Amino acid sequence: MSDAINLGPAVEIEEGEARVVASEEIGTDDDVTIFHAEDGNFYALDDTCTHETASLADGWIEGTEIECPLHSARFCLKTGEVTCMPATVGVRPHKVEVVDGDLVLYPNQAP
Amino acid sequence: METDGRASDPIGSDPVGIESIVVVGGGVAGVTVLRELRRHGYTGSLAVVDPDGLPYDRPPLSKGYLLGERTAEDILLSPADWYGQNEVELLAGRVRELRPDDGVVLLEDGREIAADRIVLATGATPRALPIPGGDLPDVLVLRTRDDADRLRAALAPGRRLVVIGAGLIGAEAASAAVALGVETTLVDPVDPPLVPAVGPELARRLHDLHAEHGVRVVTAVPRAIERDGEAFRLHLDADAASPVPPARPAPPARPAPPARPGGADGPNGNDLSVTADVVLVGIGVRPDTALAEAAGLEVDDGVVVDPSQCTSHPRVYAVGDAARTRAADGTLRRRAEHWEHAMHSAVTAAAALLGRPLPEHGAPWFWSDRYGVHVEGVGSMVGGEATVLRFADADAAGPAASGAAGAPPAAGGPGAPPGNPVAAFRLAADGTMLGAAAIDGGATIRAARRIIDRGIVVDPAQLADPTVDVKRLARGR
Repeated sequence: MSDAINLGPAVEIEEGEARVVASEEIGTDDDVTIFHAEDGNFYALDDTCTHETASLADGWIEGTEIECPLHSARFCLKTGEVTCMPATVGVRPHKVEVVDGDLVLYPNQAP
Repeated sequence: METDGRASDPIGSDPVGIESIVVVGGGVAGVTVLRELRRHGYTGSLAVVDPDGLPYDRPPLSKGYLLGERTAEDILLSPADWYGQNEVELLAGRVRELRPDDGVVLLEDGREIAADRIVLATGATPRALPIPGGDLPDVLVLRTRDDADRLRAALAPGRRLVVIGAGLIGAEAASAAVALGVETTLVDPVDPPLVPAVGPELARRLHDLHAEHGVRVVTAVPRAIERDGEAFRLHLDADAASPVPPARPAPPARPAPPARPGGADGPNGNDLSVTADVVLVGIGVRPDTALAEAAGLEVDDGVVVDPSQCTSHPRVYAVGDAARTRAADGTLRRRAEHWEHAMHSAVTAAAALLGRPLPEHGAPWFWSDRYGVHVEGVGSMVGGEATVLRFADADAAGPAASGAAGAPPAAGGPGAPPGNPVAAFRLAADGTMLGAAAIDGGATIRAARRIIDRGIVVDPAQLADPTVDVKRLARGR
């Protein structure tokens, strides 16, 4: 399913913070995390690091990258691509928008 | 912190007429050189030489791979098809000789590989125990995947393992062995080990985890290893072990775990002998510098490199555990052996080879895992003025956390030691942070790293307060 899902007010996620949306709620393979990046924009990626098992929502947002909390692998928030090892495989990005102040997620749709 | 442009930069390709680069060694440092060169548009020939073939990541060898949770394929540093896709020649073999003046690397099988530049990523080799029997052929070490396979095959439930050396590798191996049902003894002359890495408070806590998980911990110096039929007999000297007094007052002593009866086979004064089916030695490594020495490069506990990772020969670079940096002021730095340093040194070397600006890397970082607990450290816990401890919950926090009251500490009673520290921050006299270590505190360490790198002065009381998110302190809000 890839219907748009309203996640509520965007202001609930401060800049530099993230929020996990459970896969059961949105019909995705993995949980999806919404990141409020330091460029002011929101991005959505699969939550689980591709290296070992860690939640990227617990990681560190630096600019428009997310650093894994376990081994510091980095992913581009815009594309999900790996920007720093030890991960070698990217995470899936999802489309997310702010509509009338609300976060709207399009699960499994490319940004 | 590091170069970050993902797009190929055509200006970066072949800027100084380099047509061929050979990387010797396929660890994380060697593979990072390959990736960085291609990422930044180097189009010349590129080869990596390693006897193990497809490069793999070493940290899992003492963790998930040893436990059988991760396969050989899981721990590859790049997928097998990456090399072909990126026109990197993977040469499974050993280098016999470097001939940088001729632009050639000679392999042991006689092949000559063109090399306008050579990058030494030869890593390090475990040190043997310098005692009688320390060189017995079945005394194991843990560095390569073959080593891990050999150790794993020997670790059957009920077998008796002695690990000599309770540093990061020894501790991780002991943790894995216990999980595999192996009767495990851990020997180290220092109690607790790892004080320079994590500070005395977390070092104590981490070392105590061994006994709590059923490992017999012996503080002693190994004196000899003998064969005893199929088994080994180890002679240990507890008198010679010197619990190194901490440089500053120790935290309140924790009650010692009860001695396990039948621990040592024959206590005789302070000479112990222990019987083992498997012996693993993890007492550190020495850098693999033989090729560099033979080529006449400057070597001093590592291949000496400048801040661009260039050796004393302008066509040869060295990265990772094998390299030792001479700083711009001429002082030789201590050789670093952690994973991230290896990667960073490789990023620097690749930048230097392509004539790009050298990246800055910030405070060094490492991680380790034992008994399901994740340990990280950043910066330095040595030197400085004061340590601020953070405890798991407010009720058990020390005096630095104001208003702490309520539930009694786990041990009970007035004056009982507080709960276990989960993070330690080392501060300089001016209030800046020098280092931090944490147990299951990845976010704390990522925040501490920014605090260190940016010279942010934070309030020690806030650092100690477990209700304060260190991330907010690092972001200044």
